[in-house]
Amino acid sequence: MTETTNKVADNAVTIEIDGQAVQAEKGSMIIEAADKQGIKIPRFCYHKKLSIAANCRMCMVDVEKAPKPLPACATPVMDGMKVYTKSKRATEAQRNVMEFLLINHPLDCPICDQGGECELQDVSMGYGRDVSRYVDSKRVVKDENLGSLIATDMTRCILCTRCVRFLNEVAGTDELGGMGRGDRTNISTAVGNSVKSEMSGNVIDLCPVGALTNKPFRYKARAWELMATSGVSMHDGVGSNLFYHTRNGDILRTVPQDNEAINEAWLADRDRYGIHGLKEQSDRVTEPMIKENGQWRELSWEDALATLVDQLKKYDGEDVALYTSNYATTEEYYLLKQLFNQLGSKQHEHRIDVTDFSAVDRLPRVDVKLADVSKEQKVVIVGGHIRHEQPILNHKIRQAWLAGAEVSSFGPKTFEQTYDLVHDFVGNQVSWVKQFASLAKSVAEIKKEFPSGELGEWVKAQSTDEDINHLAKQLLKDSTNALFVIGHISQSHPQAAVIKALTAWLAQVTAGKVNEIVAGANYSGACLAGLHADADIKHNEHRLNVVYQAELQDFADQASIKNTLTNSDFSVVFNAYCDDSLRSRVDLILPIALLPEITGSVMNNYGDRQISTVAQKSPEATKPGWRVLRVLGDLLGFNGFEYNDINEVMAKTEKMNWSDSVIPQDTVVADIKVKGLALYPHRSIYDTDCLTRRSAPLQNSPLASSDTVYVNEKDLLSIGFSAGDLVSVEQEGRFSELTLAVSDEIPEGSAMVHLGRDSTLSLDSSNFNVSIIGAQS
Amino acid sequence: MYQVNPQQTDKALAMTLLTEKTRNTIDQWLTKYPHDQRRSAVIGALHAAQDQNQGWLSEEIMKAVAEYLEIPPVWVYEAASFYSMFFTSPVGKNKVAICTNISCMLRGADKVVKYAESKLGIKLGETTADGQITLIKEEECVAACVGAPMMIINGHYHENLTEEKIDELLGGLA
Repeated sequence: MTETTNKVADNAVTIEIDGQAVQAEKGSMIIEAADKQGIKIPRFCYHKKLSIAANCRMCMVDVEKAPKPLPACATPVMDGMKVYTKSKRATEAQRNVMEFLLINHPLDCPICDQGGECELQDVSMGYGRDVSRYVDSKRVVKDENLGSLIATDMTRCILCTRCVRFLNEVAGTDELGGMGRGDRTNISTAVGNSVKSEMSGNVIDLCPVGALTNKPFRYKARAWELMATSGVSMHDGVGSNLFYHTRNGDILRTVPQDNEAINEAWLADRDRYGIHGLKEQSDRVTEPMIKENGQWRELSWEDALATLVDQLKKYDGEDVALYTSNYATTEEYYLLKQLFNQLGSKQHEHRIDVTDFSAVDRLPRVDVKLADVSKEQKVVIVGGHIRHEQPILNHKIRQAWLAGAEVSSFGPKTFEQTYDLVHDFVGNQVSWVKQFASLAKSVAEIKKEFPSGELGEWVKAQSTDEDINHLAKQLLKDSTNALFVIGHISQSHPQAAVIKALTAWLAQVTAGKVNEIVAGANYSGACLAGLHADADIKHNEHRLNVVYQAELQDFADQASIKNTLTNSDFSVVFNAYCDDSLRSRVDLILPIALLPEITGSVMNNYGDRQISTVAQKSPEATKPGWRVLRVLGDLLGFNGFEYNDINEVMAKTEKMNWSDSVIPQDTVVADIKVKGLALYPHRSIYDTDCLTRRSAPLQNSPLASSDTVYVNEKDLLSIGFSAGDLVSVEQEGRFSELTLAVSDEIPEGSAMVHLGRDSTLSLDSSNFNVSIIGAQS
Repeated sequence: MYQVNPQQTDKALAMTLLTEKTRNTIDQWLTKYPHDQRRSAVIGALHAAQDQNQGWLSEEIMKAVAEYLEIPPVWVYEAASFYSMFFTSPVGKNKVAICTNISCMLRGADKVVKYAESKLGIKLGETTADGQITLIKEEECVAACVGAPMMIINGHYHENLTEEKIDELLGGLA
């Protein structure tokens, strides 16, 4: 570029595309400028979120003074450049490329799932020849089994390598590659490996042809038969934006909806395949049911609600308790709160996956918005496997790492991460918290300032080591401030208040920031509605229990909720599903709809209120929860239940305001002694809610949990069993029958089990003490 | 530009399968590239691994190379399947590659192939029963057009081939 070209201060150049003047950023590519202007250039390998490969050659354009057509995706803009996308030379180049791409592409569009939404189909309509000149035999590529989520038909592959680049750059797992050479190149996994990324489904959206398609959706519908409904994922606190694709009111698949501030263009597999849980109907409840003399019978909604009203009137307010999970809508929580206010009970709790109730419920502290996490330069993960807890947040941390951020972690397991950790402090559930406290000690010694009160005394009693001191010094380097991410493992830890207080203190003295990660899509909504008890709800005895949109598997202390439900006078459950373990302990079941079947708002971990609209009708007599609560309020003669439609309730919940949250630092610390192995109840990625537990594609994928107890090899001798043995994990006379497995990811002195499975339903997560004994059955 | 993602640090397979000599050679290759571009050492590493493994690369040994280089296995398979000098199934003691690219083809490479095939009793891509000679399936131009037709035997070029010369060359291998 010569001196005479005006160097625009804002780093912009002006180019001309098809006669239109276009402003473009210096160094950007022609295709980006054209996209911004809405000028269509055909492409297969280019994707705005991936690196540039320029290997499909479809985006050839004619650039003035260039001796030959140039790929628009790999040609940087220059001031004054004149680009023609429709000139004879450009269209001829595009048509020729198209002809080559179609040489080996099968003409199986009628049986191809991509048909109707295929980029190759579209572009060949626009740029291809109507009759092929190619007469020789076509290439055939052997298919691989990529598991339960992605269907393959690699003969259709045009080698754009978007999937390869996605897994390398975004997912960070490098599971696919281009094998072979020339016309025999094919995309496949390394021999014997499979695709295990928690974001793997995105390759389906990226694939411009029908080589990688959605397996559970295979042969189900055509793109033009589908109707898209805008929704919000109910599986994690991110609230990924998505579209439910329905045909005749039946959700057939989920695809991402672009939202740069939240999920960008991606969806985690959990959000994509969670809806297949809706297909599991064996324990779906569709009619109100009551248990009489040990026998279940169906009854009408009128009779069911009348029965419930009679029961509710029998007891004093405080005798009635509510347990709810965090995946219902804010409107339901709001009405529940209204109902309980007028019943005169504060015995309501949405923190059913929490074991430490010493601190009051509050909104999660969020100092850094989700989209800005990728700009952080130091991240410390405090008790969390973010990759499985909030895959999209993990993606942002990975982006930060790719830009040079240093990430460290404290936790009960050496998790497989998509970024390198500078320090990975791993200990059993008791000792990793102590390690974290020793970080506070190290920082305190440098700063000559200790946390106040009991916490300070406890911190002083810890011992530090070289690695801890290194991290402390790193945190205190004044150039950048660390972001502490408090994960689910901390949230459900029996010492949650201590961990959070330590984090808050560390952030305070190192001028750092804190993001608390909460489980469920609508923790914030339930919290804002005020569905929490003043102390551990278990301390009170209740005679009537209400379980709202929660299963036993959602609880942290499953042992005691089972007792509570069994021993009370009357238990009613408002659920979409009711499995035998819950059914056998309750008296009345009211079938209500789940989030994809209702309209409502959810507030994510970061304070964004988002609205999900009804995508599919709920089956038979099932009703949206807010309607049931509304009628119930009326029947009880309560005020403020005169809502005609959901919008009127949403007008109320819209006024609930997010506010910044402060983590209290005055906390009581008890030194915990564990005999033998310390229990680590791990909630696996697909055991989070009623839908993921029932989604066959997710449960058949490699990330699904199993009925296994994991220990470190060094503990085998003291246990007295060997790997593969069927054992019992015993806790206060209750047994979970599991297979013993050895893993070097588990530290010494720890026993990890998967929480949220039927096999571990007898566990109390708040109790560290377990012993591994011989199988009881 | 590709990303270098976290890799497992356990090198047990690499330490058992790769000989000390191979590992030393790979170490030398690794010194030539910056750590975040260690992928570049894959070709040198594969040559060393192939040399210690009777001239071919098993799945296991490729995994070991990936482990040793701390790169994803898929990158190693990509390189091994791309280059014609790497073999992913067992081969004979001597590797004979006849160039069939344009210049050699015009100078009678097809006849050379046919003659060699009938002399050895095997087709391209096959190995003689005694395990002595493998006729490599495909060889692209190796820039020896001036002496076309030509073949490469165990890395050495032999040009201006005639039937007598082929007899002499292949006879010397048995």
